[in-house]
Amino acid sequence: MDIKEVIGTIELPKISLFLPELIVLITAFVLFTLDLILGSKQKRWLLPSLSVIGYVLALLSIVVSSQNWGDTFYGSFTNDPLGAIVKIFALIIAIVMLAFADRYFTAKKSFYGEFYYMLAFTLLGAMILASSYNLIIIYVSLELVSIGFYILTALLRGSFISKEGAFKYLILGGLSIALASYGAVFMYIYAGSIDLREILSYEGSDYHYLILGLVFFLIGFAIKIGAVPFHFWLPDAYQGAPTPVTAFMASVGKLAFFIPVVRIMPLVQEKFSLAWMLTVGVIAAATMLYGNLVALVQKDIKRLLAYSSIAHSGYILAAVAVTKEIGLKAVIYFLVVYAIMSAGAFLVVALLERAQGWSNEIQDFSGLRFNALFLAVAFMVYMFALLGVPPTVGFVGKTLVFMALSFDKLWWLAMIMIVSTAISTGYYVRLVVIMFMKDREKEILPFPKGVTEVVSLVFLTIMTVALAVFPGVIWGLIEPASELLFAR
Amino acid sequence: MEILRADFPFISLSMILPVVASVFVLALREELSKWIALLGTGLTFLLSLVVVFSFDYSKSGSVQFYEEYTILQELGVKLSLGLDGLSLLMYFLTTLISLVAILWSIRDEQISFRLKEYYVAFLLTETFLVGVFASFDLLVFYVFYELTLIPMLFVIGVWGYKLRLYSAYKFFIYIFFSSLFLLLGIAGVAVEHFFDFGRFSFSYFDALKNSYSLGLEIFLFLLFFIAFAVKTPIVPFHTWLPDAHGEAPTAGSVVLAAILLKMGTYALLRFNVGLFPNATYELMPMLITLGILTIIYASWMTIVQNNVKRFVAYSSVSHMGFVVTAMFLLNEEGLRASIIEMFAHGMTSASLFMIAGFIYHRLHTFNMESLRGSLRFMPLFAVVVATTAFAAMGLPGGSSFWGKFLTVLSAKEYSYYLAFLVLVGAFFSAAYVLYMLKTLFLDFREESILIHFQDVRGFKLSAFVAVIIPILLIGFFPHIFFNMFEGSIDFFLKLFEGLM
Repeated sequence: MDIKEVIGTIELPKISLFLPELIVLITAFVLFTLDLILGSKQKRWLLPSLSVIGYVLALLSIVVSSQNWGDTFYGSFTNDPLGAIVKIFALIIAIVMLAFADRYFTAKKSFYGEFYYMLAFTLLGAMILASSYNLIIIYVSLELVSIGFYILTALLRGSFISKEGAFKYLILGGLSIALASYGAVFMYIYAGSIDLREILSYEGSDYHYLILGLVFFLIGFAIKIGAVPFHFWLPDAYQGAPTPVTAFMASVGKLAFFIPVVRIMPLVQEKFSLAWMLTVGVIAAATMLYGNLVALVQKDIKRLLAYSSIAHSGYILAAVAVTKEIGLKAVIYFLVVYAIMSAGAFLVVALLERAQGWSNEIQDFSGLRFNALFLAVAFMVYMFALLGVPPTVGFVGKTLVFMALSFDKLWWLAMIMIVSTAISTGYYVRLVVIMFMKDREKEILPFPKGVTEVVSLVFLTIMTVALAVFPGVIWGLIEPASELLFAR
Repeated sequence: MEILRADFPFISLSMILPVVASVFVLALREELSKWIALLGTGLTFLLSLVVVFSFDYSKSGSVQFYEEYTILQELGVKLSLGLDGLSLLMYFLTTLISLVAILWSIRDEQISFRLKEYYVAFLLTETFLVGVFASFDLLVFYVFYELTLIPMLFVIGVWGYKLRLYSAYKFFIYIFFSSLFLLLGIAGVAVEHFFDFGRFSFSYFDALKNSYSLGLEIFLFLLFFIAFAVKTPIVPFHTWLPDAHGEAPTAGSVVLAAILLKMGTYALLRFNVGLFPNATYELMPMLITLGILTIIYASWMTIVQNNVKRFVAYSSVSHMGFVVTAMFLLNEEGLRASIIEMFAHGMTSASLFMIAGFIYHRLHTFNMESLRGSLRFMPLFAVVVATTAFAAMGLPGGSSFWGKFLTVLSAKEYSYYLAFLVLVGAFFSAAYVLYMLKTLFLDFREESILIHFQDVRGFKLSAFVAVIIPILLIGFFPHIFFNMFEGSIDFFLKLFEGLM
């Protein structure tokens, strides 16, 4: 081959398409370097502020990257509206979460600089995962997110629960990635391509490899999103992780891990749609029922929220079963708003953990209204949102899922969803009832709250209601995302 | 349905007023909260009077004072508020009873702590209830329908009697569970509109144009029906009601019984009958049977109650049985009976719960037996009790007479057996009222215990007067009220023209 021909095929990467990722990558390396150089006093304020600056810049650069959609790096990186939504909300939640981190780790006496750069790398992984059809890029970014989460989970070095959770997560996470990559191999055998779009539109003669590949690939992701029966790591990891990290895992983690599944949705061919609907539907039904039933008997608030997270995976999967445009919209909306609700709920817990004598037991919430009115009201809003009471985002999410299910006449799944939501009333409303209607059982001393923490929490709480009352804000992003995905 | 746009946003104003008042309640001192709440509900009531008098009764079948604000174009969600004759009556009921509830609470000893939250809960309930009765968008209706749960959860759970936590919990779970079916049904209607017309729409007017296969229509009907049957409540879905109504503070029970139950019956008529006429026609025998069952079963349960509040609660269920039976007879008299009974029961149940609350103040018990002969020393209160009780019983000149009388008339059009069953129900409801009157008025009791009893006066008397005036008005001049919703009845009957 002539050297000129080889040079001619080299395509220069278009920076404008992956600018947010680039900025987060640079931030991560800067944080990493500074963590090695600086003394611990300077780290305390420099690392968080640099992280925030980096993430805000990345958030602003989405304006640039959203000027033109398209592929770069030979089609292995795709910048499209779906990815943009994920990036916007992942960055916002990361910024909000940072407000809580320093005080939390100080109170737990385990401040480590690793937190900031591991967070940045995890965020980077999530952002890349959300914008690729390429199996290898998906594999690499999945590893990046997962390794970040393993380390972040184990960050409370003195705590046994933290280590246990991280170890369980590591083992099952490893299994999940092995399965996903095994599935990727079968898909490559089928179509001779590593691009999901080409694989799923390839009209090959032997479907078995594709089905086998898809099944393994999806089981891999089912483990990551905590779908029953692959959920065993999730409650332990969520309970063990430092609570701000749990907030990040439950929101950004879930958002990122769902996106490859969402990208497959519109590509499921006519031949598979029934099998897809049944498989995903049954997993969804099992997940939501199991998550809610087990959450009912939890005594630890973090475990309760973890099981509620499993249940929400079920609700979202129910909409994934509907491979129509309305199903896709429901999935994207629910994912984004679940990220906000769960982040808010976990961050309230993160604040409360700093109070003296707090042990994360449900009973500790008794009469919280009298001790910390603001936190009680915020937590109530999140509980009602997770339950799906209007006018919160959780309600709009559930409505969209119901619309999707009735679009495909999946009445049985809708009925199971109704029953499992009714079960969930048991624990969400119980929390509200004991916070507002019981007397104090334990004296919780008032503790200093940072301005940034209060502002962040108010912001999340307002978003929880505002995105439901003015859904147009978020709909403006979802509409082009789903249209573009279905146009292919 | 014809739509007449509003020149002035009366409805949104009467929804905003209580919210503004609750902001003031939260911002100002606690002692002022009751007066601000009184002012807020009072102004809203005056506004509703203006609406009632400027309503065009010659076009009571069309939606008047209509306002529309788009929430989400792509899914066809609009905040569309308006009043036809039926909604108007319910809207008036809401503003009146909200005022009565606040009037009562001012001198209620049970309400001695967390006053700000208490009055905010009632003010917000008023806003949400106006939203329920004025919404002509299914999703927005659902939003307000659910929102009423939250303040009521707090009212029962914080200021209620002994079993308050259990009752609040039960109330929320029952209603929330059942209304999830409604949400699925609403989603189904919006999606059906997409299949017929190519776009999603939650609008009531658009939903009227949908066409369904009979199977799907019955399925959607049942989804709606489960929610409203629990709310109404229809036996066997009534078990939450005695607990919630029995343990709530007096004003809470008043709002629950007088307005929140009407949400169920209003919605049955508006949505189940209005949107799914074929299914309604197919299921008519079942629905009437359930209605009659409700009347008779609840009447029996009423007679054996020892607790005055539970007594009133069960009597509410039996009254709702009349409303449901009359509604699903699907003829002119039936619908008229059903709607007038909704309003009349709002007045009598409010009065009865206030009577129960008043007795509790004096004796600190709800036990029927310990009340024997207690009325002899409170003449004014005795008049109130007698008026309300006879009105609730269905004596001519009282408010429930027209409901029961017209139900019997319309049942007669189908068969005399049916009319006889309704009469049996009416007999039992007379029986329990007479039993109560006998216990309160005629039984003997040592005079020394009761001699220091104080008669009803002040704000509490005004609360009683506010409900007794409409009771007598309905009894003696029913045509004032019948005129209000004549057009609505025509609208519903037109849906069944081809079927009957």
